[in-house]
Amino acid sequence: MNLTIITLIIVFSLSCFFFGKTRVSNKIKISGKKFNSLPVYYGYYLAAWCGLPALIILFFWSFSDLYFIKFLILSDFKADPTIDKNKLNLIFTEIVSIAEKKFSGQIPKNLVPYAERFLNLNKIFELSKLAVISSTIVFSIFFSYKQILKNIKARESVEKVIRFIMFFCAAIAVLTTLGIVLSLLFESIKFFTVVPIFDFITGTNWAPGRAFIRDASTEIADVENVFGAVPLFWGTFFIAAIAMCVAVPVGLFSGIYMAEYARSKVRKIVKPLIEVLAGIPTVVYGFFAALTVGPFFRALGETIGLDVSSESALAAGIVMGVMIIPYVSSLTDDVINAVPLALREASYSMGATKSETIKKVVLPAALPGIVGAILLAVSRAVGETMIVVMAAGLGARLTINPLEASTTITTQIVTILVGDQSFNNPKTQAAFALGITLFFFTLIINIIALQTVKKFKEQYD
Amino acid sequence: MINEKIKISTKNLNVFYGSKQALFDISINLVQNKVTALIGPSGCGKSTFIRCLNRMNDVIDICKVEGSIKIDGDEINKKDLDVNLIREKVGMVFQKPNPFPKSIYDNIAYGPRIHGLAENREDLDNIVEHSLKKAALWDEVKDRLTQPGTGLSGGQQQRLCIARTISINPDVILMDEPCSALDPIATAKIEELIDELKEIYTIVIVTHSMSQAARVSQDTGFFHLGKILEFNSTEKIFKNPDNKLTQDYITGRFG
Repeated sequence: MNLTIITLIIVFSLSCFFFGKTRVSNKIKISGKKFNSLPVYYGYYLAAWCGLPALIILFFWSFSDLYFIKFLILSDFKADPTIDKNKLNLIFTEIVSIAEKKFSGQIPKNLVPYAERFLNLNKIFELSKLAVISSTIVFSIFFSYKQILKNIKARESVEKVIRFIMFFCAAIAVLTTLGIVLSLLFESIKFFTVVPIFDFITGTNWAPGRAFIRDASTEIADVENVFGAVPLFWGTFFIAAIAMCVAVPVGLFSGIYMAEYARSKVRKIVKPLIEVLAGIPTVVYGFFAALTVGPFFRALGETIGLDVSSESALAAGIVMGVMIIPYVSSLTDDVINAVPLALREASYSMGATKSETIKKVVLPAALPGIVGAILLAVSRAVGETMIVVMAAGLGARLTINPLEASTTITTQIVTILVGDQSFNNPKTQAAFALGITLFFFTLIINIIALQTVKKFKEQYD
Repeated sequence: MINEKIKISTKNLNVFYGSKQALFDISINLVQNKVTALIGPSGCGKSTFIRCLNRMNDVIDICKVEGSIKIDGDEINKKDLDVNLIREKVGMVFQKPNPFPKSIYDNIAYGPRIHGLAENREDLDNIVEHSLKKAALWDEVKDRLTQPGTGLSGGQQQRLCIARTISINPDVILMDEPCSALDPIATAKIEELIDELKEIYTIVIVTHSMSQAARVSQDTGFFHLGKILEFNSTEKIFKNPDNKLTQDYITGRFG
């Protein structure tokens, strides 16, 4: 139904566009009267008036009609005080599935008339939607056509419409972010009412599985001392640090090589090759880490008499570092290229060699940008999931031995939420608390990174 | 005329950017302790020429330099030569002032530090003071040596760049339109400076200003389309040039 209406709106708008355009150009030809804007703008004007109001109505109608129907149907049940809100929702779901003939099992007889009513209401709403939208189209075409004949400033109006569309798209992005943050926030607030926030961020024992078992057998959640997230914070930090130990030197030097040393022919080949690393799906890195790098370290450890577990922070960290190399090198390359040639020439003309020039002039000038690049890479490392899930293990322990298994915030979120979960026990809600903590970490790192990059840009503009 | 010593001489110098030839058979002699001005319309190869003299064209990938360039009789246009030693001897001041984003002190101390010219902090302080004094900037900046060089005015920045060049005690100073980004007062100061500096250094200056060439130089070369049309004493070039095109350019009939 909605699809038909949208097609209808598009067809009408298109014909309005051509209609408006030709009408105005004909009028100009016949009367010789000069119009405010070019004929094509009157076409856009008419099309916008035809399409936009109808689309807006359609949008809100489609979102709200189900609520109206629900309200109307359930008004009968609301009188009964024994039926609470959850029960009401359940009844409505049953009515809908009976109406759509998807109900499995014995159909409760008392609900059948409501199902019929649901279908009727649905039909009425659909028809009235069609009617309202068609009349809107007709009315707005009529109105805007009259406006055109009055020779309004169509070019300015089109400008306003375009501005509105751009704003709308930007608003969607912002609202989505807001929605994500709020949903995280509400779930974590539920969690923090059960588990004190202080225990969460300072506790050193992470064993949410135990809380789940006790929850099922005794109906009372034993939440004390099992939601200490410190081992996870530590694991995240530790693995990210190992990753940065790989990514920073390699990325930095390869970026410097590309910006300063590589001839343009070499650069054209090498740069895309390095950037291929960024295009590899993280799950591929994950099994590379789990199946190749992990066992390699294990074998290496055995030959020198070290006990290396096959899932280790080291393997995950190193592979993660490799994954991040292109971010560091590509951004380094960019900020170094932004350092003016004049500074290099000044240094060369003093008899400085290339490496002296890079060390003493180019890098200090590019430093804020490079710091920004590294921080962006850090936030990427902190948020990375797949590699750690596959290569670092699940054991949450506080250890500084990189050869042992370790775990991160992201890994724990995955393990908690994989499979069927009930969403009102603290174990599941812990995932949201972890999520919002992670979000804050990366947000802060990103803000600092963007600020430093911005400062750097101002320096030469 | 008798004790004139030739500092730089070029012979059959040809320069190519890719397949395009920028300079054709330039053969001139530059005399020690004189200011040589190079004039000519834009794109005629003046800058390309002086960038050959300290091998600055090496920075450009596609640039190829053929022919002979001798400084004090030693060939510098050969492959196995350490270009950094040449650049130590032949300093350069650029069109746009380009101080490093460092303090005034560090801008001057940059060269001496790289080449190890100062044994200790005191030596370095002396070099900095000496260079700034020679560039007639000392009095203006002596109280703020730790402030960034980029915070100075355009004319001060250019004198800072000259001081930076002087700091490593070169033989030759190349100047590529050093006043084109400056106002008349700053220009006058720099011209005065050039006049003093020629007592110690050999100076080559590229300029678009006829009057500047006439004021500061003793020899003048006129470039046109990559060739040197006339090279003579400044007096002769401006009073009685041999070439009709030179005459036209100087009097402003073309260019």
